[in-house]
Amino acid sequence: MLIQTTQLRKDVQTTDGILHILQPIDLQIAAGETVAIVGASGSGKSTLLSLLAGLDLASSGDVLIDNVKLSELDEEQRAKVRADKIGFIFQSFLLIPSLTALENVMLPAELAGNRNAEQQARELLGKVGLAERLKHYPNQLSGGEQQRVAIARAFVGTPKILFADEPTGNLDSNTGHKVEDLLFEMNRESGTTLVMVTHDNTLAARCQRILRMDAGQLTEDQQHVA
Amino acid sequence: MWHKISWRLLRQELKRGELTIMAAAIVLSVTAVLSLSLFTERLQAGLTARSAEFLAADRVLSSRRTIDPSWIEEAESRGLQTANRVVFNSMAFHDDALALIDVKAVSDGYPLRGELRTGEQPFGDDEPAQGLPAAGEAWVASALFQELALELGDVIDIGESSFTVTRVLTYEPDVGFSVFTDSPNVLINDSELEATGLIQQGSRVRFNVLFAGEADALNDYGEWLLPQLNEATHDWRSVEDGDSALARSLRRAERFMMLASLLGVVLAATAVAVAAQRYCQRNYDVVAIFKTLGGDKRQIQKIFILHLFLLSMISIGVGLALGWIIQATVIGFVAEYLGQTLPAAGWQPYLLASATGFVSALMFTLYPLLRLIQIPPLRVLNRDMTGSDSLQWLHWIASGGTVYALLLIYSQQWMLSTALFVGGALAAVLLLVVGRLFIRVSRQAGMQAGSAWRLAMAGLQRRAQANSVQMLSFSTAIMLLLLVLALRNELLADWQEQLPDDAPNYFVINVAKEDVDELATRFEERAIESTDLYPIVPGRMTAVNGVPVVDEVTKEAQAEAGDKASELREGFGRELSLTWRDTLPENNTVLTGSWWGDNAEPQVSVESEVAERMRLQVGDELEFNIGGNVFTVPVTSIRSVNWGTLQPNFYMIFNTETLEDFPATFISSFRLDNERKNELFDLFRPFPQVSLIDLDAITEQLREVISQVSLAIGFVLVLVLIAGVLVLLAQVQASMEERQKELVILRTLGAPSKLLSRSVSYEFIILGAISGLIATLAMELALLILQTQVFDMDANFHWRFWVIGPLAGAAVVGTMGSLACRRLVRRNTAQLIRKLA
Repeated sequence: MLIQTTQLRKDVQTTDGILHILQPIDLQIAAGETVAIVGASGSGKSTLLSLLAGLDLASSGDVLIDNVKLSELDEEQRAKVRADKIGFIFQSFLLIPSLTALENVMLPAELAGNRNAEQQARELLGKVGLAERLKHYPNQLSGGEQQRVAIARAFVGTPKILFADEPTGNLDSNTGHKVEDLLFEMNRESGTTLVMVTHDNTLAARCQRILRMDAGQLTEDQQHVA
Repeated sequence: MWHKISWRLLRQELKRGELTIMAAAIVLSVTAVLSLSLFTERLQAGLTARSAEFLAADRVLSSRRTIDPSWIEEAESRGLQTANRVVFNSMAFHDDALALIDVKAVSDGYPLRGELRTGEQPFGDDEPAQGLPAAGEAWVASALFQELALELGDVIDIGESSFTVTRVLTYEPDVGFSVFTDSPNVLINDSELEATGLIQQGSRVRFNVLFAGEADALNDYGEWLLPQLNEATHDWRSVEDGDSALARSLRRAERFMMLASLLGVVLAATAVAVAAQRYCQRNYDVVAIFKTLGGDKRQIQKIFILHLFLLSMISIGVGLALGWIIQATVIGFVAEYLGQTLPAAGWQPYLLASATGFVSALMFTLYPLLRLIQIPPLRVLNRDMTGSDSLQWLHWIASGGTVYALLLIYSQQWMLSTALFVGGALAAVLLLVVGRLFIRVSRQAGMQAGSAWRLAMAGLQRRAQANSVQMLSFSTAIMLLLLVLALRNELLADWQEQLPDDAPNYFVINVAKEDVDELATRFEERAIESTDLYPIVPGRMTAVNGVPVVDEVTKEAQAEAGDKASELREGFGRELSLTWRDTLPENNTVLTGSWWGDNAEPQVSVESEVAERMRLQVGDELEFNIGGNVFTVPVTSIRSVNWGTLQPNFYMIFNTETLEDFPATFISSFRLDNERKNELFDLFRPFPQVSLIDLDAITEQLREVISQVSLAIGFVLVLVLIAGVLVLLAQVQASMEERQKELVILRTLGAPSKLLSRSVSYEFIILGAISGLIATLAMELALLILQTQVFDMDANFHWRFWVIGPLAGAAVVGTMGSLACRRLVRRNTAQLIRKLA
């Protein structure tokens, strides 16, 4: 299993007492699978994603990425895991406004010390159809273009896992579909494991597995066949 | 790799203007410090050089005995220039007339600073002198021509020698300013001195050696020389000593420049602090993205430290260049204006300026940067996460420490720095409290107002925390600006008062009692403004409380005095000009005791510095000898005297009953414009014994120095103003980002942009007005302390600033707020939403 959780919980202390955001969750995702996590706002999808990606720590239970227990790692080591194995796509794109499209894509590779960062970034931007816009800044690009830059960035380190948080949530449906197509196509080509949080059922339906989040409880749609 | 990322971020952000405020703040702090310190240093050197003319040298060693020639050799071996000047009183004879004169025998090189001027006509035109009087020649002051009815080519006898009068001596830089004791001067060559036979054991002679050269060499020599001097007989002087009007103006100007520059530095540092905070906040998302993409903390740390380092270096470089250009331009202007070049400054200002920029950038970003690096990667999903602020105390320590360090580095006076720092900290707390209070009150007032006002008041109240901090920096900036402005006005007014355009430019002395009325009438006829005529009775002070005063407190004198040795006092060694008067003269203040009023008992009022030097107190009995008449009077008051005014001033003033029966001459000062100079001869023709002393040279010098200093102060004011505006700008810019979200919501809900921009403008106007009001209050308090404690001036209330402060605050802050807001409101909602996303 590439991703595995055991009895994963997340609680937060509020003024009214302890709030259980995630009930104990056991989850296994094999390499190459595409998985959608769907659910209403506030159901805990994004929290689960943040724990799986090592952006946050669980209250109890474990997350194993490629057999490495994240709870035993400090922040630096978790960053290293992300640098080596994980790519991200966010609803709000999260490009660095002061860097060009090319520089944004190069960034993860450079942080990981990859000397061919620029070469790889150029190829990937070509693949997402932005070969002509390498020198553009995010605010000079449309929403769809920005998300394509973000997709290129997500793939630049040839990650084993790709986490996507509402990747089309900020886009109109036409642009959204194009970005979806691109995402799935690149995912297929690279054989990456895709874990995607969305409340768009159509988008979720394109994944092999659909996990439903409801008030912190995770259930799997057994009938679903992508 | 990290350095590439860092450099790239910097390059792109610079290009896109995202670092403008931060860079501008650093540039400004460096520019301000460099130009101010270069300018002050050069101006100071220029002023010192100019004022050195009053001594005719940079330093003077003076003694009643001949000065050890090996000391002069030592000075010359250190590369210093030297010249001798021997001064003594004597009599000059011509035909059957005789006059008391001051003889000045000088050696080659004299004057080392300034120039001698001579002419062909008494009180006539003059030109720079060529060399010195040759052997057998004398140059003689105008007054002596009058007294002895001399003409050029006449011979005068001094001691056993005869001298041919070859020039009229019109100006000596070191003429001094002691109107009553100085007789007309006669300048001779010191090679002639011995032949006069006047320098003998016990004669009353002042030997002076003049020194000039590089400041360092002079100081080194001073350090070498001082331990060898006998305090009782030797006097080592520079221009800064002394209580001349010039020395005091210089000291005040120096303090003002120092203070204004310090405030400028603090303002510039505040701008850096505000900008640094914002700089880090802007990068919260960037750090979160870096971390999410796998960047480790150390890498990110390096990226941002290098980023900041490069930014600082570039800004410091630009600041140094700009500072140099500004300073060179101003100096060029000053030089042209004054017709003189100012000496170059050393390298310290450059170091000081770079250090200021670097220290501010480093220390003010320390905490924001630490916080920035702690930003959790989870911020990519939850934008409200800003990391912990548990290190807030570090921020206060770092910022406070930096401000204090800057004050200390700049002023090199820990007392002044500490006072300013502690005062500033207290003022900050006060400002915070008062600011909050104002906001609360204004909220209630706003409830009754129209919708834009209501929105503005609600905004103020909601952001009370942030606003009171903002108000603190607005108030500080406005306060410092008002303070510098008010102080400048006070100083200029003070100087103006000292040297009004109608300041007297002549002293007339030796007016006989029977001529007093006629002279007064003649002044009146010609509409010449003069001061009262003061009677002068020459007399010696001979004893204090029954113990005779001595010329020098020597071991022999002490042994002779026996158990009264401790009461021995060194007298004046000469006759004093005593006067009597019913009323206290202008510019005199009784410090202890009281003025006599109607009390007809004999009594005397003593000038405070003389009283201090001779350890005199109210109640002491002073013995005087006037022409063989010896009498004793009690001291009934001690007076301070403003020696800066060009009016007759006295050490000893008696009540009328005590002195009026003694023979007296009278003295007065008056104003006569240059173009009416030719009337002088006519005016004084009926009074052949009267002497005139021309003060024009001295007042002109003083005027020049004051205009130089005023110019400098104007320049300092402009720099402080720019620093202040930059702080305001940085603060408005920072607060605008906080307002964005709210603007988006209101816009989306359909609020018309007019309402929005009005409400934001009003909010800033209110903030500005309150800040201005608080600033005026703080300024008034600060000024009270500064005027009385630092500048030795009288305190007064500045009602105009109570109007200017709030109005200027409202106008400036309101305008900047509105402009910054207009940019936001102009964008359409979709753009705004995207920017926020």
